[in-house]
Amino acid sequence: MKRIINLDINGQAHEVAVGPHYTLLQVLRDELGLLGTKKGCDTGGCGCCTVLVDGKAMYSCMIFAMATQDRKITTVEGLADNAVLDPVQQAFIEAGAVQCGYCTCGMIMTTKAYLSSVGSHVPDDLEARRAIAGNLCRCTGYQKIVDAIRLAASRRIVAGSEKG
Amino acid sequence: MPSAAVKEFLQPSSPQEVVELLVKYRERALVVGGGTFLHGIIARGLLGQMDVLIDLQKVGLSYVKYEHDTLCIGATTTFAELAASERVQNSPELGAVLDALCYPPAQIRNMATVAGCVASATPLFDLPVALMALDGAVRAAGPKGSREIGLHKFYLDYFEHVLERTELITEILVLRQPSRSASAFLKLETNANDLALLNVAVRITVDKKGTCRDARVVVGGGIGKVPVRAVSCEDVLKGQYPTAALLKESGNVVAFDIHPVSDYRTSAKYRSTVAKVFVRRALLRALDRLGMQLDEPS
Repeated sequence: MKRIINLDINGQAHEVAVGPHYTLLQVLRDELGLLGTKKGCDTGGCGCCTVLVDGKAMYSCMIFAMATQDRKITTVEGLADNAVLDPVQQAFIEAGAVQCGYCTCGMIMTTKAYLSSVGSHVPDDLEARRAIAGNLCRCTGYQKIVDAIRLAASRRIVAGSEKG
Repeated sequence: MPSAAVKEFLQPSSPQEVVELLVKYRERALVVGGGTFLHGIIARGLLGQMDVLIDLQKVGLSYVKYEHDTLCIGATTTFAELAASERVQNSPELGAVLDALCYPPAQIRNMATVAGCVASATPLFDLPVALMALDGAVRAAGPKGSREIGLHKFYLDYFEHVLERTELITEILVLRQPSRSASAFLKLETNANDLALLNVAVRITVDKKGTCRDARVVVGGGIGKVPVRAVSCEDVLKGQYPTAALLKESGNVVAFDIHPVSDYRTSAKYRSTVAKVFVRRALLRALDRLGMQLDEPS
């Protein structure tokens, strides 16, 4: 039985009719057309559906949409401030941390949550790799992703504060 | 993607309400904690007919506290919340719990709940093995009231435990260990999002002189239907001063207690070999937490 629920996605209120079994991923992509969040394995194994729920990285393929009412959802579409990219997005571009691109949005969301949780710390290679342990890049282009994470982290210190 | 047959998604606001719903719907209802295990099951087509999902987010069971000498972990406490709690961070005796919580990736740590992990009853999960090394217990609410069941008696088979359909785990309980106790956990996995090929948790209690007074060794992951207590390993340690040779001997006798299986992920022989090494290394890690450093035997 479908029910109308209210979702707060990227600071915007959405009213959407969902079935009790709908995942957040399904609602984002199929109901709201927010296609930045990717569907990969659909079983919480690959990370490309990663979004932020109340600022924490989660697999949107594993959350029931109805369980995300009253919570703040951020997708990759919500990172850029108009035309200005989020520092994490900018760092991924500059480091060339994209091959086929399918994992990129999930990587960026995981990185975003990770960097928000470590203050001004700049992770070393191992820490950056551990941070994205829940995201697979099937092109195996990890080194540049790690470079991008570290670049974004180091910039944040130069800038003195982090956006969002 | 979950089954379209589900008719209702309910969000009760107390454990009592959950129990009432379970009494009403019985095997047609499923309790959802973080949902990570459930979605994995659904995606593999292993979930039977369910009419109702009962979401636990609003029942008020996310907390970590001490009740006298018992650590009470609320059922819906996430891995991340438990790992961040000061008590888990700073108690050598809870080291195994902290170790076990560090293996899954951030997304799972943010979603998976402690009781959900315990209730899933898969012998391949990590946290139950760590909790068993601490003689942890489950507190469950049901229509007849509340009861406590030790984890060593909790599991029956793959995906099966002793609770009735109408019971809900409200808390995981861990008794405060005697002073000079420490625990540790190790997992063999092929990638960061993998189920254990093998996992081992140990707890050791020593007296003032460093002699082992009590020990627990628990092995899980591909060694049977439920995690197994390796009493032979424990017996080697008790009453003895831990030396590198003693730890090696304790690891070597693990073969008496476990019966590893061969599957597509690895062989029984490899699991047996790793179990010996992991018991020894987990003991080393626990002793290190007590400030007792031994050299690894060559």
